[in-house]
Amino acid sequence: MNVGIVATFFVAAGLVATGCFAAVWRRDLTAALAAIPLMFAGVGIAFVGVARFAAAGGPQLFGQEFAVILAIAATALVALGLGIAGREASR
Amino acid sequence: MDSLHAIGFYVSSGVSLAGGLGVALLPSRDQRGISVGVLGLGLAGVYLSLSAGLAAIVALVCYLGCAAMFASPQYRRLETVVSGTWRQVGAIAAGALLAILAYSAFRGDFVHASFYGGTFGAANLGRVFFAHDAVATEAVAALVFAALAGAAAVWRARERSR
Repeated sequence: MNVGIVATFFVAAGLVATGCFAAVWRRDLTAALAAIPLMFAGVGIAFVGVARFAAAGGPQLFGQEFAVILAIAATALVALGLGIAGREASR
Repeated sequence: MDSLHAIGFYVSSGVSLAGGLGVALLPSRDQRGISVGVLGLGLAGVYLSLSAGLAAIVALVCYLGCAAMFASPQYRRLETVVSGTWRQVGAIAAGALLAILAYSAFRGDFVHASFYGGTFGAANLGRVFFAHDAVATEAVAALVFAALAGAAAVWRARERSR
C-alpha cells in the first residue's frame, strides 16, 4: 500500500467537487457557506501533497504554509458570512 | 511512506470525504456542524499522514471553530431564489469538475522529490512564516482581523436592532 501525489490529488478533487456541489445544491444560503471550508480543505490537501511529494528545487514547506493560511482564512470567511447572513435574515 | 502512514492517509481521506458529503446533504444545522467537525478531523489526519503536523493542529482548531459556528443556535436560515433547474445544472457541473480534476491528476506527469522535513516541522514552518514570508503573514493576519472585526460588528448591529 502506497500513497503518492496522484492519490492526494484524487482526495483533493473529491473535496473540491463536493464543496462545489454543496454550494450550488443548498437552498439555504447559510448552509451553502459550509462549502467554503470544504473547498479550502481540498485545496489545502493538494498543496500539502505537492509539498510532501513533488516540491523539487525550492523550499518544501511553502505548501504547508499555504495550507495553514487557507484554514485560518476559511474560519474568518465563515465567521463573516454567518454574521452577514444572520443580519440579513433578521431584517 | 510506510504502511502505517498510508493506512492513516486512506482512513483520514474517507473520514474527510464522509464529512464533506454530510455538509452537502444533511438537513439540520446540528448535523451540518458535526459534519464540519468530522471534515476537520479527517483533514487533520490527512495532513498528519503527509508529515504536516503543525498544519494538522491549525486545521483541526479552525475547523472545530467552524463547526461550532454552524451548530450555534444563533444560526439563521437565508433562502435563495435560484430555481431547481439551475441547481441541477450546477450539480452536474460539480460532477464534471470532479471528472476533469481526477483525469488531470491521473494523466499528469508530476515531479517526484524526496521529503527531508520531519513529521511536525514547527520550527521550519515558523521560520518560513516569520522570516521568509513575514509580509504575507502580516497581510493575512490583517485580513483575518478585519473579517472577524466585521463579523463582530455585524452581530452587534443585529442584536441592537432586535
